[in-house]
Amino acid sequence: MQKPSFVYVTYIQTTPENVWDALINPELVKQYWGLHKNVSDWRAGSQWEYRDYENERVDVAGKVVESDRPRRLVLTWGHPAGSECVAGSNAGEPSRVIFEIEPFMDSVRLTVTHEELGPEEIRSISQGWPAILSSMKSLLETGKPLAMTTRRWTK
Amino acid sequence: MKTESPKFVYMTLIATTPEKLWEALTKPEFTRLYWFGTDVESDWRPGSPVVYRWRGKISDEGSVLKCEPPRLLSYTFHHLLDEELRKEPPSKVTFEIEKLGSEAVSGESDMGLRGSAVRLTVTHEDFPPDSKLYPEIAKGWPSIVSNLKTAAGDGEAVGSGL
Repeated sequence: MQKPSFVYVTYIQTTPENVWDALINPELVKQYWGLHKNVSDWRAGSQWEYRDYENERVDVAGKVVESDRPRRLVLTWGHPAGSECVAGSNAGEPSRVIFEIEPFMDSVRLTVTHEELGPEEIRSISQGWPAILSSMKSLLETGKPLAMTTRRWTK
Repeated sequence: MKTESPKFVYMTLIATTPEKLWEALTKPEFTRLYWFGTDVESDWRPGSPVVYRWRGKISDEGSVLKCEPPRLLSYTFHHLLDEELRKEPPSKVTFEIEKLGSEAVSGESDMGLRGSAVRLTVTHEDFPPDSKLYPEIAKGWPSIVSNLKTAAGDGEAVGSGL
């Protein structure tokens, strides 16, 4: 049986380059993604980590599968032992996240597909991605993220 | 064979108040800014008609099922512009507005969301199993709600009128 997927589309009044940078620049990520940062050299085959911005704890980790700035970024998504991730456990099997960035009219269409999810994971990420991506849109359009996403997630 | 009736759910967070978001959903001077240029018309009483008008033509119509300002609005939805799609029976649209305040969001997976913003959840359901309208609305809602979020302005940058 196919594992469930979550798809979220949002339109952002900015450039594809700005969306790409918002995904990987620690100073931007920390503002809309729960006081964390994404760390990697962003080359295909490299490791990437979602780390607490302050205490460096790694809460999500995986491999960069595809990296085509500013169009497409594909990551595997796993939870290291000891991580305190809101996304919940997926019984060891990493899931996969695909970011597609397309110019659309005078804005950008960002499609995030999170696939091969575990049953617990689908519930929490269905709440998580809309919050994170809503805040990223606010940040890119107004310079201000949504307040609740600038703090560490609490359980 | 596909027998399940599809259901579309889309959620977004907006830095506004439930009252302002309610106005944005129910008044034509606001819908025309973000809803493909359409004007909404309704007195928003249960049983009353709802009409979306685009360049003088009615693009979609329905009737109000529930209206509980500023947190819940639902109506039946019948698309009219496209010859094929207008043959489908009415589906159902629901808007839920929740204030994300100092208290935690309702529900167990609240993720500790706090701060002053509103969560808008749009649910579109009750399609026939082989609906041709469904893939169209699945493309339409992210665009409408993204525009609404920008217009409802997360503040000063765009659409400070809301």
